[in-house]
Amino acid sequence: MIKDAVIILLISVIFGLGINVVSPRSIPYIGKYRSLSSSGGPIVPPDAEEGDPSFIAIDVAQLEFDGSDVLFVDARDPSDFECGTIQGSVNLPFEYLPEEGVEAYIDSILGGVTKDHRLILYCSGEECDLSLHLGRNLQILGYTNVAVFFGGSREWEKLGLEIERRVNCDE
Amino acid sequence: MRRIVDNDLLTLLIRLTVGITYIYASFYKVIEPGAFAKSIWFYHMVPGNLINLIALILPWLELVVGLALIVGLFYRGAVLWINLITVLFIIALSTAIVRGLNIDCGCFKVGKEATATAWDALIFDIGLLALTLQLWFSRSRKWMLAAK
Repeated sequence: MIKDAVIILLISVIFGLGINVVSPRSIPYIGKYRSLSSSGGPIVPPDAEEGDPSFIAIDVAQLEFDGSDVLFVDARDPSDFECGTIQGSVNLPFEYLPEEGVEAYIDSILGGVTKDHRLILYCSGEECDLSLHLGRNLQILGYTNVAVFFGGSREWEKLGLEIERRVNCDE
Repeated sequence: MRRIVDNDLLTLLIRLTVGITYIYASFYKVIEPGAFAKSIWFYHMVPGNLINLIALILPWLELVVGLALIVGLFYRGAVLWINLITVLFIIALSTAIVRGLNIDCGCFKVGKEATATAWDALIFDIGLLALTLQLWFSRSRKWMLAAK
């Protein structure tokens, strides 16, 4: 039994690692993922690229929330936004960006802030890409001071920070 | 009970069901190891530098084990692996549910909707474990390429 199991494992290792050499979708053998369980430092998604908005940790997000002139932007769908979002956020759902007039649409939601205004984007947590995609789009549109708080509303709520609920979604 | 468990036809049907399920499940992961790596990352269970290695090897393991079960080669090893992998998935899903993680990795869903998805997957895997355990206990060795 053990011998059979080892043979099967060897076949899988050979194919798995071997095909990756020639595959057009190959990935590095050793990934550079920050362990999510360790504390300290921002959560950075594995598909972050050079030139992406900066990623900030919860303590930085909290500091900025308490202090400076900053706008928190929730990138999720309106239904999620209404269930619970970081206090005082605006909702700019990435999946609902209009095809035309996107610039004016974003400008109106952000309340006409200047392009260098501090924006902190987030969605539900590290499994959600919406904030990152929205951040990339905002940069293309010329917003220069964009950060992504990848811990998102879940990490915010976990720490007992202020959450604004427009609709009661608890059953 | 023993006679039911050892039934040749039942064992064959379960080999096919479980084998096809795992081969089917391995497909997208074999083709998109990057996306699968990210799914593993979401579970918060594996050290970061091991994620890609697991993402490359585990789908192939599922595929090879699925094939081995169906054709009946390296059979006892395949049965051992299929039970281990299924238990592993059950543990991973359970901890994800307990910790309230969203593991539906389309990944645009949040909250309850995603929890329901994790529950569905968990129930499915527990059902699958019942089948793989049958293979573990069954002494039937009929219709196999290399029956021992």
